[in-house]
Amino acid sequence: MSKVFIIIKKELATLFRSPLAYVILCITISVFHFFFYLIIDHNQEASLRDVFKVMEFMFVFIVPILTMKTFAGEKLSGTMEFLLTTPTSHLTIVLGKFLGVFTFFSVLVGLTGIYYVLIEIFGNPDLSAVMTGYLGVLLEGGLFIAIGILVSSWTSSQMIAAITTYLLLFILYFSASVTTYFQGAMAEFLRQLCTMTHFDNFSIGLFSLADFVYYASGIVMCLLLTCVSIDKKLWE
Amino acid sequence: MIRAKNIHKWYGSQHVLHDISFEIQEGEIVGFLGHNGAGKTTLMRILTNYSKMSDGALYIDNVLISKNTIHLREKIGYLSENPPLYPHMTVNEFLMFAVHLKNVVRKNQRRQLEKVLDQCQLRDVQNKVIATLSKGYCQRVGIAQAIINDPDILILDEPTVGLDPCQILEVRQLIKSLEKKRTVLLSTHILSEIEQMAQRVIILRSGKIVADAAIEELTSGGENRHKLKLRLRGDPARIETILKEHAGVEIEAFEAGADGVCCVLRQDISLSNGNKLFEQLLREQVEILAVDTVKHSLEDVFLTYNRK
Ligand SMILES: Nc1ncnc2c1ncn2[C@@H]1O[C@H](COP(=O)(O)OP(=O)(O)O)[C@@H](O)[C@H]1O
Ligand SMILES: [Mg+2]
Repeated sequence: MSKVFIIIKKELATLFRSPLAYVILCITISVFHFFFYLIIDHNQEASLRDVFKVMEFMFVFIVPILTMKTFAGEKLSGTMEFLLTTPTSHLTIVLGKFLGVFTFFSVLVGLTGIYYVLIEIFGNPDLSAVMTGYLGVLLEGGLFIAIGILVSSWTSSQMIAAITTYLLLFILYFSASVTTYFQGAMAEFLRQLCTMTHFDNFSIGLFSLADFVYYASGIVMCLLLTCVSIDKKLWE
Repeated sequence: MIRAKNIHKWYGSQHVLHDISFEIQEGEIVGFLGHNGAGKTTLMRILTNYSKMSDGALYIDNVLISKNTIHLREKIGYLSENPPLYPHMTVNEFLMFAVHLKNVVRKNQRRQLEKVLDQCQLRDVQNKVIATLSKGYCQRVGIAQAIINDPDILILDEPTVGLDPCQILEVRQLIKSLEKKRTVLLSTHILSEIEQMAQRVIILRSGKIVADAAIEELTSGGENRHKLKLRLRGDPARIETILKEHAGVEIEAFEAGADGVCCVLRQDISLSNGNKLFEQLLREQVEILAVDTVKHSLEDVFLTYNRK
């Protein structure tokens, strides 16, 4: 277990030592600030509902950049052979990497906590709805990150990893919008597959077990598939 | 002890390792010799449990390596062909990371780190970022990482490739200085390197073992292992007959050109005998323009073993 922490630490060091991390932090936070201002100005209500939706959309773009390196980078620097020949289980490595990126992501999300403070000062927000919203944000981020890490384990090119992750996240994010072209079970499947379907509930402060299970099982499945991918050395 | 039994490896339809079997005792230093693409890296990756073999069995200390290999990996230190280096880390950070991942108990971690820093002479650069190090230092960091938990078995894939002669010497000395009780397996495509570092050689060619012998066997014979390259001036036909008729001389290449005859001889004769050859050539009015000795190459070793 302590090895998971060692890997988390190393992942965070990797992220924070690349300028990319700071660029992402700055751009993302600026965009959030901008939309926070727009949304509050437009809606005139003490709720972060729409802010969460903007965040969700932004994650489709930033998560692939955060995760592309996780495994593709190790293969490039020849350290994959090092990692996999140390007495460390695949699950430990995968968990460490996942939690490392997730921690960075949480810091990013944490920085938006100021919005709650602001609307608390000027209005009377529903704390439990905001908390549920943030839970949704973290789950959504977790799922995206798990997908990104899975994709990164398939290839030794960071570029390919990033682009493939974008594509998958886009499909996942927008699949509900094409339901009009399908009927019956297929349409329902696409609707259930779509992250927006599940995230919308969280963003308005509605917690349902089904939505939670959707995210949790998605994350677990992707991480296990990553272990398999590493075991089978799919990138070779 | 390492025992490989009938190991095969296929990459798709490519048969990369054919029926590899050998046994390596504790404390042996064994060199795997072969050209690029012979399968050295593939074999080492199988021995370190990085890759899976397609068929066959591998025993380390009489334990069959199958699925649960985690604790067996503690016994093996591995320097891969591209030394594993995180460019943004400092040497200390990387070695600490390695110490943690290799299950060194907490109270020994610092001591092990200090030990390999001294052993691999990395003191001067311990706080430098790896990306800024020279290739020789990188290789030493790679070796340091491999020995940091005192593994019983050390596997080094082309430890001196890409280094300049000075660095090669340093790395060679480092490898030799590693404690005697360890089993060391190293690979190279350079014959002389094996002669200097290993006690035993396993020669691979196109994924097959063509020889497995003590190093003395490879180096025995002294002079007769050298080849002579001569440039002569005279009548080519006459020269050829002289060479052919001279006892103990075997012509490997013969080429007559405008600026004389160029030939490579495999000489199974002592030096005094060689003198006789030169004397005879001079008597027959053949001018000797140049004499070179050609070092035994991997190809020659292959030829020797193929003949057997
Ligand atoms: N991951 C891989 N996928 C497909 N073929 C491979 C792979 N690794 C090695 N090979 C092939 O296996 C053969 C042996 O390669 P390798 O073990 O790297 O040789 P060496 O280390 O002796 O130079 C080569 O022909 C190479 O093309
Ligand atoms: Mg190789």
